[in-house]
Amino acid sequence: MARRIGKHWWIYEIVQFATYFWLPVVLVALWWFISSDSQSFFMPPLSEIVQTLLNDIGNGELLEAAAFSMRNVGTGLSAAIVLGVSFGLLIGYNSVLRSAVWPLIAFLRAIPGVAIIPIVLVAFGVGPGPQIFVIALGCVWPILLNTIDGVRGIQSSITDTARAYRLPRALFIRQVLLPAATPQIMAGIRISLAVSLTIMVVSEFSAGNQGLGVYISSGVQSFAPSQVWAGTVFIGLIGYLTNVAFVLIERRILAWYFEIPRRTATKITSIAGAENERA
Amino acid sequence: MNAHSTVNAAPPMVVDGVSKSYGSIEVLRGLTLRVDPGEILCIVGPSGVGKTTLLRCLSGLMPPTSGEVRVADQVVTEPLQEIGLVFQDYRGSLMPWMTTLENVLLPLRGKRMNLSDARERSLSCLANVGLAGHEEKYPWELSGGMQQRVAIARALAYDAHILLMDEPFGSLDAQTRFDLEDLVLDLRRRLGISVIVVTHDIDEAVYLADRVVVLSGKPATVIDTVAVDLGPVRDQVASKGLAEFSRLRGRILNEIRRKK
Repeated sequence: MARRIGKHWWIYEIVQFATYFWLPVVLVALWWFISSDSQSFFMPPLSEIVQTLLNDIGNGELLEAAAFSMRNVGTGLSAAIVLGVSFGLLIGYNSVLRSAVWPLIAFLRAIPGVAIIPIVLVAFGVGPGPQIFVIALGCVWPILLNTIDGVRGIQSSITDTARAYRLPRALFIRQVLLPAATPQIMAGIRISLAVSLTIMVVSEFSAGNQGLGVYISSGVQSFAPSQVWAGTVFIGLIGYLTNVAFVLIERRILAWYFEIPRRTATKITSIAGAENERA
Repeated sequence: MNAHSTVNAAPPMVVDGVSKSYGSIEVLRGLTLRVDPGEILCIVGPSGVGKTTLLRCLSGLMPPTSGEVRVADQVVTEPLQEIGLVFQDYRGSLMPWMTTLENVLLPLRGKRMNLSDARERSLSCLANVGLAGHEEKYPWELSGGMQQRVAIARALAYDAHILLMDEPFGSLDAQTRFDLEDLVLDLRRRLGISVIVVTHDIDEAVYLADRVVVLSGKPATVIDTVAVDLGPVRDQVASKGLAEFSRLRGRILNEIRRKK
């Protein structure tokens, strides 16, 4: 992180910014020039892709698709967080329950999230409901398992303190167990965030009538490669932005964990670099 | 027993023939001792003798295999309201996601105390340990000595009349340790609390204690109880320079060595 040493700290900031973003900028520029006179049907020039992208954002088609898809992602992921964290706290805290359900969890978690898509779609049909369901089902495991690990990894000095000061169970779970497990829980949510986008796209590919996956697959069916590219780039952007938003929220919730003093400005470069700062 | 004024009357604590075994390994055998109201009792012994085990039995975190611990007339079978625990590992015993004030408040919330009363009490206890103005800081923003002060404030706010301290200053530098030792002496004088300090540091034990209980052997037994007659007010330089101080420290050290 940038330290504001001396009065020329802003030079340091610019250097930092350039260090983080030079590679994407160079790659996009290369793509632009190399593809500029491409004759390949499947590899249209980047300028054409950008044209389609702006066009479909402008006429609302892409934004509508994205709103539909991201609403499913948001709902499914939220359900996974609520279920994963609640059951994770319960299972992590109660060793009897843990040994009773562990074999089942070990089996279910081994099924790849996308593998259940056909079953669910066959059983429940097409539409937001089944799609939210598969997203939630795929996302719940990383969160559940991380919450269990987080609870079990709690230091014995913390639980001793809670016992010595006779904290009632509800207060203990809310004020001690949950915050102590939060670093692990956030790590689980980060994994599930990627999983949720994957399942969203794949489930819309396999059966859907709306959404970003449908936007892409209809581009395939109507021989419009620039639409396929535009959809893919757009999903990439959404993925990147949700990740940035996640890091911002995580740094806020886990300020104590990262030992970030309050009122520290969050700079773009420090978000991009946040992955390396984990203790 | 104690001539100085007492604000809280601490209940006496009696340890009656406490033994503790882990499986077939006997760690403590037939320990009997008492802690008078307002007294500072130090328990010394070589590393690994079972001091922490004893302290866990005293605090009710762990039941003894035989014998019992009583506070007033109550047998300790689980942690008691009257006892405040201060751990050696201050980093691990404060909640890093809570500010200093929230850490001190937490046990009071468990007691369902009125929140504004609890706040007021926590603030005054923090002031009592010299931490006024640090209420909104997080533990990781404080030095080790300050974190241990928070742990002491938490025990005081909990209204503990008996402070149980497990090697409380072991991982602090010498100067900070002296300050905190003087804080403990000062709190006892002002509040009339009883303090039990488990330590391997013989100088610390003699400096703090009204009586020092020497543990040694495998399984550990009480090999001596030494009265320290240095008065309630002590000074890191003057008291430690007294002939009596070095006589007691020599006596305890010899006993621990001989038994080994």
